[in-house]
Amino acid sequence: MSFLRTLIPFDIAAGLTVTGRYFGKVFFSANRKKVRAQIKHFTQEYPEVPVRLQPRFRGRLTLLKDEQGEIKCVCCLACEKICPTEVITIEKGKKEGRKMPYPVRYDFEMERCIFCEFCVESCGFDSIILNHQFELAAYNREDFSLGMDGVAQNMFEPSPVGRHSVAED
Amino acid sequence: MEHLLATIGRNMFAIFGVLALCGAAFMVAAKSAVHSVLGFLFTMLCIAGCFLALEAEFLGMAQILVYAGGIVVLFLFVVMLVELSKYKEKAIFQLQTRSAVIAVLIGAVAFLVAFRDIFFGNASSEALVLRPELAKGLNVAAENAQAVSRGLFSDYLLPFEILSVILLVALVGAVVLAKTERV
Amino acid sequence: MPTMNLTQTLVMGLIQVVAVLILIFVMVPLLTFAERKVIGYIQVRLGATRTAGGLVGITGSLNRGMWAMGKVPVLSILRGLPVFIADILKLILKEDIIPAKAERSVFTLAPIISVMAAFGVFSAIAFSPGALFIFPKGFPIVGGLPFMGFISDVNVGVLYILGLSSVGVYGIVLGAWASNSKYPLLGGLRSAAQIVSYEVPLTLSLLTPVILAGSLNFRELSIRLTTGADMHWLAAFPLFVGFFIYTTCGFAETNRTPFDLPEAETELVAGFHTEYSGMKFGFFYLAEYTNMIVVSCFASAFFLGGYYLLPFGLQRFIPASVPFLGQPSILFFFLKVFAILFAFLWVRATLPRYRYDQLMDVGWKYLIPLTLVNLFAAAIIRFAF
Repeated sequence: MSFLRTLIPFDIAAGLTVTGRYFGKVFFSANRKKVRAQIKHFTQEYPEVPVRLQPRFRGRLTLLKDEQGEIKCVCCLACEKICPTEVITIEKGKKEGRKMPYPVRYDFEMERCIFCEFCVESCGFDSIILNHQFELAAYNREDFSLGMDGVAQNMFEPSPVGRHSVAED
Repeated sequence: MEHLLATIGRNMFAIFGVLALCGAAFMVAAKSAVHSVLGFLFTMLCIAGCFLALEAEFLGMAQILVYAGGIVVLFLFVVMLVELSKYKEKAIFQLQTRSAVIAVLIGAVAFLVAFRDIFFGNASSEALVLRPELAKGLNVAAENAQAVSRGLFSDYLLPFEILSVILLVALVGAVVLAKTERV
Repeated sequence: MPTMNLTQTLVMGLIQVVAVLILIFVMVPLLTFAERKVIGYIQVRLGATRTAGGLVGITGSLNRGMWAMGKVPVLSILRGLPVFIADILKLILKEDIIPAKAERSVFTLAPIISVMAAFGVFSAIAFSPGALFIFPKGFPIVGGLPFMGFISDVNVGVLYILGLSSVGVYGIVLGAWASNSKYPLLGGLRSAAQIVSYEVPLTLSLLTPVILAGSLNFRELSIRLTTGADMHWLAAFPLFVGFFIYTTCGFAETNRTPFDLPEAETELVAGFHTEYSGMKFGFFYLAEYTNMIVVSCFASAFFLGGYYLLPFGLQRFIPASVPFLGQPSILFFFLKVFAILFAFLWVRATLPRYRYDQLMDVGWKYLIPLTLVNLFAAAIIRFAF
């Protein structure tokens, strides 16, 4: 029996079966629009099709607001202290009708950020997250300085750069 | 044009023969051992061409398969492994020049004497000379392999087998010679 | 066949040579494309998709429209096909570097030998048993002559092909030596040992169909194997085993995975072509893929039934009166060639590389005895039944 096993390469046949099955699966599902719902391959056709990111993906820092549209941040400065590259600068302030402190300035220097997510972990009020935006390239250095005001560089909306994967002329 | 091509076609044997001689001369004259092997390879291919010109296709192909494809590759293999610098090469390979020239001259004279009828007599009309009773029912030009095998395995079976035993002896001898140092 | 004068013979030969060259130069780029795609699919990827599937150019704008509508572009399986144009352009335009300490003449000669041996083989391969079409009467010089499916009908075609492909090893060995560098030399030595070892079982396994059919002519052998009157049905077994032995040795002869030790990247950088660049490297590349096609043609003709539908000499069970399936066709031949080429890629994506001692073990201790037993069985079947 063991002689037969040496004679006939069963293990090679088994390996070829596995790869052949994968080939069939991907070949018959990859280029058809009907079965596209159950895609078998891992390649993401990125600029054309939105990317499926993992839920833990660490993108750009974003300030959150609660249901009333109020900024959730209470200026405890935990994130500023824990940040290893010191890219967060917060200026405490007061606002009418709000017991907690209110951030007058919340500056985020993205060019030095290492996307370690320590700030989000240290936040006791769940007021910041790292969103799923990864197309963060920009042409000017100023575009990396994010803050609470301005249209192009505020920390509430996704950055306009890279919102369109396809750059329209 | 047509005439010229026909002339070339008729004289294929001579052309390949001269080319084979050129290759052999290059092999002897070349400084580098690998160049020598290349010249040898060229000679072997040209001899195969000679066989083809004589309509002995089987022999020609066997020549390429055995000599060009097998034996010369092994030569090349050895020559590549043995790294001899230039001056050493000269000393080793050119030592026997004088005796080699004498041997070649004697060989050439003997060859000419032995085959003078073929060289200076009338050209043979048959492509492959077999005993007529062996070639019975065989178109020798078209069924080369059959003709050769009939010659090898019926008429000259005993010499053929003795030859293979001699080859085997050489093989075993080579193994013994190579192994003795380790024992 | 009408008799031809010398000029007609030469012109006809030239036409057929050009046709075969076109075939090679079409099939090799397609093969590289198929290699990207097939290996991609097997590894659950998509392979090359960017060229002609990207966002610029005519096809790009078409594709962009289709993506915008939420559909996969038409012919999306062919995206990435034009990569071969870039490949060829790169190989031609790249600077041709000859190392300073290399043997210039041999360095240049090596890829030429490789490619000549690979291309020369095609002169004895018959793609179709008969004429493909007949030139119309008014055609200059060759009017009224048939365009055959083969360049020449060599009497000892099998030996010719074996001999020429064994000459191909010189390209590798000489190129390796002439590079004057350690890695190529090691790769070349490995390659020479490997090819010389595997030539034995390769030739022996080809003897199985030769014994069964009793011919050395490529076309005749293939036809006799499939439809010969004296073929016993038992002959299918040695042919079946012989097919696998032959393909295995063919993999080794063409230096493909799992036997690609001459160019093992992890150990030898790129093996014998480490120092080559530009079109000289391109020639080696071309020779490798052409050899793949040659091996496929061989296996197709001698084991898989060649011009007929059923492999292993089983064609006798389909009577010749059946309209399409019972008749020889160039389509069947190429179908089998493509199937074996696919197997080449499939195996490449599946099996890891053998170690050197394993390679020699497989060749000498496994394949050669197996082939001899198989040959013996074939001889018994040929002469006892």
